[in-house]
Amino acid sequence: MPDTIQTTGAVPASTMRARMKAPEWGALLIFLLAEIVFFTINSPYFLSWPNIVNIITALSITGILAAGGTILLIAGQFDLSVGSGTAFVALMFAIAAQSLGIMPAVGVAVLVGVGIGMLNGFLVTVVGVNALITTLGTLAIFRGLTLSIGGASSVRITGFDWAIARPFLDIPLSAVLFLVIAVGIAVLLSRTVFGRTIYAIGANENAARLVGIRTKKTLFLGFVISGVCMAITGLVSASQLGSTSGTTGTGLELAVVTAIILGGSSLKGGTGSMFGTVLGLLIVGVLNNGMTLMNINSTWQQVAAGTLLILAVSFDQIRQRFIRA
Amino acid sequence: MSAPTFLSVRGIRKSFGSVKVLHGVDLDLPAGSVTALLGENGAGKSTFVRILAGDHHADEGNIEIDGAPIAFRSVAQSREAGIRLIAQEIADAPTLSVAENITLGALPNKLGFVDYGAMRSTAQRALDSLGADLQLDAPVSSLRLGERQIVEIARATAGASRCLIFDEPTAALSDAETKRLFALIERMKSRGVAILYITHRLDEVFAIADRVCVLRDGRVSLDAKVADVDQTAVVTAMVGRAVASHQDHHVYAETGAARLVEVRGLTSDSFFNIDVGVAPGEIVGIYGKIGSGVPELAGAIFGAVPHASGEILVEGKPVIFRHPSEAIAHGLGFLPADRASEGLLRSRSVAENLAAPSWRRLARGAFISRRIETSAFGRWHKTLKVRSRPDGAERIATLSGGNQQKVLLGRWLEAGSKLLLLVEPTRGVDVGARQEIYQVLRDLARQGHGILIASSDYEDITEAATRAIVMVRGQMVAHLPQNEISTARLTEAAGGGAYA
Repeated sequence: MPDTIQTTGAVPASTMRARMKAPEWGALLIFLLAEIVFFTINSPYFLSWPNIVNIITALSITGILAAGGTILLIAGQFDLSVGSGTAFVALMFAIAAQSLGIMPAVGVAVLVGVGIGMLNGFLVTVVGVNALITTLGTLAIFRGLTLSIGGASSVRITGFDWAIARPFLDIPLSAVLFLVIAVGIAVLLSRTVFGRTIYAIGANENAARLVGIRTKKTLFLGFVISGVCMAITGLVSASQLGSTSGTTGTGLELAVVTAIILGGSSLKGGTGSMFGTVLGLLIVGVLNNGMTLMNINSTWQQVAAGTLLILAVSFDQIRQRFIRA
Repeated sequence: MSAPTFLSVRGIRKSFGSVKVLHGVDLDLPAGSVTALLGENGAGKSTFVRILAGDHHADEGNIEIDGAPIAFRSVAQSREAGIRLIAQEIADAPTLSVAENITLGALPNKLGFVDYGAMRSTAQRALDSLGADLQLDAPVSSLRLGERQIVEIARATAGASRCLIFDEPTAALSDAETKRLFALIERMKSRGVAILYITHRLDEVFAIADRVCVLRDGRVSLDAKVADVDQTAVVTAMVGRAVASHQDHHVYAETGAARLVEVRGLTSDSFFNIDVGVAPGEIVGIYGKIGSGVPELAGAIFGAVPHASGEILVEGKPVIFRHPSEAIAHGLGFLPADRASEGLLRSRSVAENLAAPSWRRLARGAFISRRIETSAFGRWHKTLKVRSRPDGAERIATLSGGNQQKVLLGRWLEAGSKLLLLVEPTRGVDVGARQEIYQVLRDLARQGHGILIASSDYEDITEAATRAIVMVRGQMVAHLPQNEISTARLTEAAGGGAYA
């Protein structure tokens, strides 16, 4: 069989695609650099170490939730309950801390987070409710529970300020924790069998099942990981603020989804990466920080973040139209 | 006798980015005549018909209708000119009724209000002309694939069309439905409709076409009267070389080795009381049209779809597979019927697709790398003649159907499966790759693999099987030893004669 004749035909198409692949991150990186250049020109303080640390610290809660969210979105799933889950974990922790002490309360927080993840996972994989609807429901349930159990006023938490400690390089532990989790999830997604199965399920759940992947078990685990992330962010939030209230974590789910989508994960699943999510987080984080430094009202930051998301996804749609041959 | 030319195409060129798909295509579609369009996957057939349908725009070239130049800028313009495309992929509105789907896009109305009476009578007439008996009010989602195809055809033929383009219409049709479709095409032809018929099947070309046109690498490599050419000429025009036909036949010789799988009295709602076994070195072909229960039987053996009763023994031991992973652990591999929805991980690389069932075995602890997957792909890339980069790093969606299928077959070779359950192994696979897949299957059987082919394409059975079973409506109706396998015997047993 004359192999050579046939292989030559395929080469131009595949090299073209290899070249088209680079800009997925390239465009994001260029945009981030443009932001950095712009704000550096407008504010001398912007590129200082304390401000860089500020940017990362401000991202830590969104970032930890986005780490779990990236796993789920790549698998073609959603978790909108992360914001209210964070608030519920923080409240359960605060109440438990008053009667049981700090360490047992940390255990309670972890159990609550895992419990929320298991509830979402059970509803999606066993009962078969769509993830968007399931977590929209649990979003409302845990926000409501937080408000009715905690009441209108905020609950104080004392003796739990580890997250703002800065043991090295003047970086708060909450930011360190975010970076460690981001690296951990990046490795999990790109280097482990579990990561491969997540991508496979997102790419084609049917096909994944037929190559022997326990799709439901894997998705369940994905929701539990998201629950663990809520437990961590609940504890970080409680520690950072020294209190918790009914409005803790409101709107986090949108910030999380924005960062992940901005980072190149497709809503359809099967593509994306933790590195992309970190870029997405930084693009939003740098924008917010820079606008604050330029004294632009924070309400405008929301307008900017929303516009950015739509621009990024439109750009991606247009790009895909050109690749599709 | 020369019919007036309805549509005339000259020098059509089309590129996507830097990829040139069509390099100057010339074609005439005479009114009242059937032109068959053939070509391997990737030859540019789909792009060409989408240009005619107004869905794509040509970069260069002219289209003339009735001798007047026309430039399609939209699907609506093409439809206005009387051109209807019956696409390969079904594009219906599943939640709407049969009648609504048939009149979709041309809903009869009075002052903007739907005229349900006219809608139903239009739909009924279109169905009658196809000899199809479908409930007008049934939602399309309740129909089976072949029936949905009929609804699509009914939609295209309901209005006053002057040119019908069929893109592989018979893939999902039963023999009887195919015959009725051919009768409809004959009637349309006599009414002066120009017909462009895309197919992979040479027997269909010789059954209904007046002219045959072959595309290869974006150019017309053959354009002739059907009466003036034979199969060999057409195939040579398609692949650009003579295809070695099935000289090599694998003959199974009973070795007395235990059967890899033995099914006894297997029953579900799609098949009844099935007994079948596959020994090492044997290729058992199960032939059946849509509704025969053949694909469901293969799925049930693999644990992908449930069965109600009966026994499955793997190497003599009774097993119950609740999940495909258990079947895989017992040495079974499964090639599903629908590559796109059940087989491919489209957004992932070729190597990743091949390694998927073997990830756990290939991993170092919990960790797996691209390098491990690349070397797994390297083990099979040559054996399977996959036309891809040698490292398999590109997305599998960029490969042609035949190459995708080879990668999906490679999955189970890497996984070390001893028994391969292959459903429609050559569906959407072009002529050249087909022969290569048959050759791979014969080689695998010689090496002691057991293979079960479940197919509605008799060529799969005649080319590869060492014994055949025919199923009709869930029942086994015939057993054929290797020397009795022939197209005629298979189609006869399945209840329909050949087309001609």
